[in-house]
Amino acid sequence: MDVHSASRRLLDLTGRWRAGAVPGPLAQMLLVAVGYYAAARVGFAFTLQPHPISTLWPPNALLLATLLLAPGRAWWWLLAAALPAHLLVELQSGVPKTMVLGWYASNCSEALIGAALVRGFVPGPLRLDSLRKVGLFLLCAVLAAPLLSSFIDAALVHLIGWGESAYWDMVQRRFAANVLAELTVGPLILTWAAFGVARLRAASMARSAETAALFGGLFAVCLVAFDLPQIDAHVAPALFYAPLPFLLWAAVRMGTPGAASAIALLTVTTIWGAVNGLGPFVDGTPADTAREMQLFLIAASVPMLLLAVALEERSRAEREAHEQRLQLTHLSRVAMLGELSGGIAHELNQPLTAILSNAQAAQHFIANKTGSPEMLSEILQDIVLADVRASEVIRRLHSLFRRGETEFRPLDVNALVGEVLDIVHGDLVTRSIEVRRHLGASLPEVSGDRVELQQVLLNLVVNASEAMSAGTAPGHRVLTVCTEAEAGAVKVSVIDSGPGFTAEQRERMFEAFYTTKAQGLGLGLSISRAIMRVHNGHLWGDANPGSGASFHITLPAA
Amino acid sequence: MSSAQACVSVVDDDAAVLRSVGRLLQAAGYSVRTFSSGQDFLAHPDGGAPGCIVIDLSMPGLSGLQLQQALTKKADRRPVVFISGAGSIATSVEAMKAGAVDFLTKPFDASRLLGVIGAAVERDRGSRGAQLERAAVDTRLASLTPREREVLDLVVAGKLNKQIAAELGTAEKTVKVHRARMMRKMQVDSLAGLVRAWTSIQPPGAYST
Repeated sequence: MDVHSASRRLLDLTGRWRAGAVPGPLAQMLLVAVGYYAAARVGFAFTLQPHPISTLWPPNALLLATLLLAPGRAWWWLLAAALPAHLLVELQSGVPKTMVLGWYASNCSEALIGAALVRGFVPGPLRLDSLRKVGLFLLCAVLAAPLLSSFIDAALVHLIGWGESAYWDMVQRRFAANVLAELTVGPLILTWAAFGVARLRAASMARSAETAALFGGLFAVCLVAFDLPQIDAHVAPALFYAPLPFLLWAAVRMGTPGAASAIALLTVTTIWGAVNGLGPFVDGTPADTAREMQLFLIAASVPMLLLAVALEERSRAEREAHEQRLQLTHLSRVAMLGELSGGIAHELNQPLTAILSNAQAAQHFIANKTGSPEMLSEILQDIVLADVRASEVIRRLHSLFRRGETEFRPLDVNALVGEVLDIVHGDLVTRSIEVRRHLGASLPEVSGDRVELQQVLLNLVVNASEAMSAGTAPGHRVLTVCTEAEAGAVKVSVIDSGPGFTAEQRERMFEAFYTTKAQGLGLGLSISRAIMRVHNGHLWGDANPGSGASFHITLPAA
Repeated sequence: MSSAQACVSVVDDDAAVLRSVGRLLQAAGYSVRTFSSGQDFLAHPDGGAPGCIVIDLSMPGLSGLQLQQALTKKADRRPVVFISGAGSIATSVEAMKAGAVDFLTKPFDASRLLGVIGAAVERDRGSRGAQLERAAVDTRLASLTPREREVLDLVVAGKLNKQIAAELGTAEKTVKVHRARMMRKMQVDSLAGLVRAWTSIQPPGAYST
């Protein structure tokens, strides 16, 4: 296979991966081999001359992250896929064959130790989506795996007799290089595998611009701080903090993939500078330089990663709570509409009756030749009006049944009250309830979600009408709805002539699952209160001086 | 059309329904009066012309059933047809128990409505005929002298002339004269005819005890 067709095949594979399909086993092996080879080249490039000390050795981290994403039964052939790449890259550097194989064994041992430890705590492919998982990853993959495999590695080197470094020096150097690699490469692969390239493409213009500004800014700052000839040694400590705002920005706004990418950018630019004799890490021996730089990068990376995942976890919890509130609100709204189904059928049957009777009357008039054109056109006009009325009922129902996001818009409270009373008209009439409206003139608009506020008013009206039809004689059932402006707010009152409520009911009626109805869920008032809270409004109930209950809501004027 | 003279009153709180049903009945040849509420109907007596009343069951204020009760109290005996937009079994049973002739769920087909109305009008016509009959018998009964009335009661009770004479303490011949005069005034020519006329004015259930 020539280079051209191989690269085309790889592009094809990554293209399919991007489309959301998991690559097949052969493609995975190819990806591992190519990735391992590239990572090893990076590792060699990041070696401090003249001594061959790598400051960042990413192949092991790449293997570990791959294993963490793959099922256990795939581990062996994934590791096997790295062998040709390992041989290809190591044999070029003139190292004895036994040492090359020994390094392959110790590299694999790091990946296996880390992956097995993590998998022991978290079964299945690892996603860095909680503090616990990131903590485990840091302990097992970033700390334990490099530590344990470094002993193996140094022992092998010692056994084979390659190089003349002391055992502890070797352990320490290899440990630091691999910790940094695990910290840089591991989260990068794990978070991007979970995030998916498709979501990046779906990002909005503003989001893409923010991402470009963040990484452009971070890159520029890193260049200045770490990749320019050092001008003044006294400024160096301050320059260390220059990338901090961008790292924080990435952690806060871009989640774990953003933080991992920012960390990778910082690490690569810093090491590149040091390897090329630029930036603050140039004094001292190569071993000291490497240690200083590695400690700096590790100290900068760990908190950013933890901060990013903690924020992500919190925003996910908030999202879930929000989603649950929406679901519950919708559920109780649908349950309420179910209770109103008889009245709603009434509201639809009225215009349908008008349409049918008008049409059949017209048929009679035409058959008897008694209808004048004026009368027929009057009938047709009435049919049109009834049809408009029926479709209006359906349109309102549709918006109430639908599950949507909360959308704040300027609203006319009197219109809102009118719509709600229209929806319950059939129900109120069937229960022989008389409606009185006292709607205030020239009320200020309020800002709110039409459907959710309708739900609150519907809930209050339905409660009132059920209380009255259960405890008040027909002829004495009066529902009064008042609207008025009140100190920068609009107040709506729903007043009934029912039996009112007891002290215990007054105490508990806003609790979830508290109900006095035979078939109530006991969620109406507690959800209504939650809706009012989202609208910065209030909902409360009073017993009337005579009989019955009053419920009031206030909404701040928009 | 036989129903040309019949008058149908429609009571419904929904203006569109009221207008369309009114038109339909008009097209079918009825004379129609429409009312938007029970109170409106009670406040504007429609003269009780022969026909029937169509009442919407669910109305604010006075409900359909309450209106029906008020009409019964006013001795308006016209048949009532209920229409309802939210027909539940419970309310329809209640309506039928209260004496409605039929119960239609909206929206209803013209043929169904007109069939029900036709039957109700027919029933009204029948009961009005019987009513006239009863009134005539009452008038004739009032024209009898006390003695003739006594004779009638005893004849209807199955007594023979001789027994009547004994009971009234008069001669059998006198009884025969009273009886002949009574039969003429009652405009019947047989005992069977007399009993039928007498039975028609007895309150219903008079024989049940």
